[in-house]
Amino acid sequence: MAIVVGVDVGSLCTKTVILDGDGGILSYDIMRSGHYYKGAADESIESALKSAGLKKSDVSYILGTGYGRGAVAEADAEVTEITCHARGAARLFPEVHTVIDIGGQDSKVIGIGDNGRVINFVMNDKCAAGTGRFLEVMALALSVDIGEMGDLFFASKEKVEVSSMCTVFAESEVISLFAQGHKKADIAAGIAHAIARRIVGMVGQVGLREKVVMSGGVAKNSGVVRAIEERIETRLLVPREPQIVGALGAAIIASERMSATIG
Amino acid sequence: MERVLSKIAEVTSDPYAYVAGLKERKNKKIIGCFPMHVPEEIVHAADLIPVVIWRGNEPVTWGHAHVPPYDCGITRSFVDDAVRGKLSFMDGFVFHIRQCLQAGEFPFIMERHFKPAYQKILYLPAIYPGDPTRDFALKELESFKTSLEDFTGKMISDDSLKKSIEIYNKNRSLMERVYEIRRAKPEILKAKEVMQIVWSSMLMPKEDHNELLTELIKGMEEKSVKAQKERIKVIPVGCLCQTLQFDILDLIEDLGMIVPDDDLYIGSRYFANPVNLNGNPLKALADRYLTKTPLCPTKGVWDIHWGDEAIKRMRDNDAKGIISVRVKYCPPHTCYYPDFRSKMAEEGVPEVMIEMEHEIISLEGVKTRLQSFAETIGGV
Amino acid sequence: MDVKYKVNRLQTTNEIRPLVDKHWADLRTAKERGELVAWASGPTFIFAYAMGMKCHFMAGYSAYCGGIGAGEEVLKVAEMAGDLPETCSYHRLHMGMGEAVARGIPINPQAILPMPDLMVAGRLCPEMSHYAEGLHRRFGVRVLPIDLPAVANIEDMPRVREFVYRQFKEVVIPTIEEVCGKPFDYDRMSEILSVLKKVATLRNQCWEFFKDKPSRWTLWDYGVSIAPVFYLMGNPAGITYYEKLLKELQERREKGIPAIAPDGEKYRLYWDGWLPWAFLGKFMRKFTPHGAVVLCGRYPWEFFPHPELIDPEHPVESWADLYYGMESHLVYTFSPKGTIDLIGKLIDDYSLDGLIMFSSKTCRVMNLAQPEVIDVLDKKYGIPGVIIEGDMIDSAMISDAQIETRLQALYEMIDSRRR
Repeated sequence: MAIVVGVDVGSLCTKTVILDGDGGILSYDIMRSGHYYKGAADESIESALKSAGLKKSDVSYILGTGYGRGAVAEADAEVTEITCHARGAARLFPEVHTVIDIGGQDSKVIGIGDNGRVINFVMNDKCAAGTGRFLEVMALALSVDIGEMGDLFFASKEKVEVSSMCTVFAESEVISLFAQGHKKADIAAGIAHAIARRIVGMVGQVGLREKVVMSGGVAKNSGVVRAIEERIETRLLVPREPQIVGALGAAIIASERMSATIG
Repeated sequence: MERVLSKIAEVTSDPYAYVAGLKERKNKKIIGCFPMHVPEEIVHAADLIPVVIWRGNEPVTWGHAHVPPYDCGITRSFVDDAVRGKLSFMDGFVFHIRQCLQAGEFPFIMERHFKPAYQKILYLPAIYPGDPTRDFALKELESFKTSLEDFTGKMISDDSLKKSIEIYNKNRSLMERVYEIRRAKPEILKAKEVMQIVWSSMLMPKEDHNELLTELIKGMEEKSVKAQKERIKVIPVGCLCQTLQFDILDLIEDLGMIVPDDDLYIGSRYFANPVNLNGNPLKALADRYLTKTPLCPTKGVWDIHWGDEAIKRMRDNDAKGIISVRVKYCPPHTCYYPDFRSKMAEEGVPEVMIEMEHEIISLEGVKTRLQSFAETIGGV
Repeated sequence: MDVKYKVNRLQTTNEIRPLVDKHWADLRTAKERGELVAWASGPTFIFAYAMGMKCHFMAGYSAYCGGIGAGEEVLKVAEMAGDLPETCSYHRLHMGMGEAVARGIPINPQAILPMPDLMVAGRLCPEMSHYAEGLHRRFGVRVLPIDLPAVANIEDMPRVREFVYRQFKEVVIPTIEEVCGKPFDYDRMSEILSVLKKVATLRNQCWEFFKDKPSRWTLWDYGVSIAPVFYLMGNPAGITYYEKLLKELQERREKGIPAIAPDGEKYRLYWDGWLPWAFLGKFMRKFTPHGAVVLCGRYPWEFFPHPELIDPEHPVESWADLYYGMESHLVYTFSPKGTIDLIGKLIDDYSLDGLIMFSSKTCRVMNLAQPEVIDVLDKKYGIPGVIIEGDMIDSAMISDAQIETRLQALYEMIDSRRR
């Protein structure tokens, strides 16, 4: 039985997926990356192995991906998260042609061919707006738990514009919106729309083709998902566990490489 | 070959020191020509040393007080260099202010803070129909020539201008030969080295550069290299008026790709197509500007598609993809880019865009883009 | 803020909207009536008007879209089509409109224009050519490109004037003749200039009321009244409009009514850069509560401040001379030196207290050396200035909190210098 592991070391979280020889998911793990990526990768693999009841020696191939992909000490190879997200999304939703991935530090839109391979992509890592980090800062400015941000969106009654593209200025804008007496829910919705606006431009550059899958931690925020849906006028498919799509893709590629070496 | 390459690396590693030293050694005045389309030949014929202005190697400091943050890298870096006195060895400047709006910022800022002994503004026309454009381009060059004559107090004869053109044409044909050998054996030079070679041509007197190139070409012809068939050939396109960070070129190669040819300003765009030597030399220079420089979004583009040109270059080199290098806040490139990208999609050509900034360059992000691109072409 | 300031609205300005709406409606329906349609950028639309073509104008259309609140949705279509946010928002607006029509994406119908039979792309700024190139590539629009260099040194004016005049005579007129299938109508061009001369003369009389202390009206009032000296050029309705406006301003003077109640302004300001067409109200709300009134601006002063130099007898020559002459050189105000000359004059004539330099993040035409311009003018006239960043129509480029802070800093600087 060829057990393979995909590890996605992101700037905020590290994710691991373990596949069996038939491509079935045996276990997965998500944990904060912290400042020491190598330790996070080791620990996450360890924890995923444990929940699958496996030992390190059972593993035939480890593939690293994500921002800290170079830090996976035991990796047999590394592949970018763009290729991995495409592959993971195509496994979960075979009809996918576009992936919107909003991670901690960057966001990406990936165009996918009929074969599940990347055709083109754009990536925003210059500006924190449109990332998980942006949401975290905004949650702080609103003094709400990040988990509540999505629900707040749906409680919004009045349109409030958070126009700034920059996290720092958006923060001061949020504070001044408070000062003007706007409601928390309306500001939260304004923030979700600001992210959506950023993403929509990237979708434009890649070209929108259905089905559209959203992956990454921000996909758990139903407000942002809805705001993007409204902007692109298309429904988004969100995996049950959107954070592990990249690690899943990495494991799939690992298993392909295994069969290539055996075959 | 090694000797030449190390000399060239020395020139480009500190262009400030090199050009300042040059001025002393040659005992001639230095005229900074803002990229891209200033005909340096006329400056050369005035017995001055034309040097193409470059994007510096330091973060912008005082320059912030003079230009907005949404100006491109070379604009901000050049103004910063100038107001900090880093360019004090320059005696004058030429700006073609019609290529983009940002170029229009310079003359006034220079007059106020640098007070160059010589400064000339050119309004070279975009490529537009009819005789007026043709005549005006020639008039602009005539006025350029006159201003230089006034500055030096010496007339520029047709013969001396022709002689300068000849030296420049020689440089163009030698550079073309370097590229020809590189196309045949792309492993022979690193992409960074090729860029340094072109950049040094913009900094050095062309006579000196020609000598170096002659020696280099001999070495390149003799040297045999092992072909690395597994490497994916790619063509970088763009970066219209400034140096591309060397780290990016290194990354391309580190990720298993190789560059057999390019469509970059500090690359094939600079030396493409000689100036016609028959007849009126000023007219010939105007003619090269209007009809013989490579397609450039700053000049008005109507009948040919940049995308088609890039795809042809890619296919001619048996390359597999195109890397667009777009300087952040370069409006001419930015306006054109969506159509370039559509053309790539239409033709099914793999293409990725790298955004380049003067300071905040997240190399990790660039690496992810380039690596994903290599994976896409390589079928991962 | 002890005093509660409030805008005294002018009545006449209500009459501009129907004129402007009719202009664009006529353009939208021109093809149905078998009329030829032109698009223009730079001061070239007059040639199309002279031939009876219905003609769009790049900045005018953009201002209109911004004014009717259609900018946002059209920009969104452009982004979806792959245009990059750092691109000139007027460029994106045109691409977005073209793409919306081509792809059948619904947008505000008032923002839709018919594709032109000829696009006269006057390259005052390079982007005015780039958008034409893009429309040509994407939709096969026929473009007549001409070069209209923005001149940075006054001594360069004569040779550029010659170049521009020759393009008008040798390229623009013959091409328009060919498209319209008839000889160029010099008489009509003369008529248009005669009307323009009358309108601009009246408008100059209205400008005098900015000199009143307190001022009788604001730059924003003039901003919405620009069309008659701009793309409504040649329309006699412009004369009626400005006669009425002049009358209302005279009445205000007689009755002592200021632009803002109760007693007029505390700060008299200059506005550099484009007018923020989509956000006029938003900015007004940032000025008025502080007792600030914006009176003059570089762009609004671009529309024929010297009507006495308009010579309807020699229309084409006069047109070239207005822009590139030695007495009148409208293109010069785009250069830092020209800007400094102009603002200096405005500071003197209109007793200004401070400068607002509106710097568009996507358009550099008027950003040129703005920090330098503030510095020069502060040294010479002792009045402060601030740069505020934004955009004419793209709200994503505007950060309210940042703008509030900088404007307030300007008011405080003026206060501290008065002490």
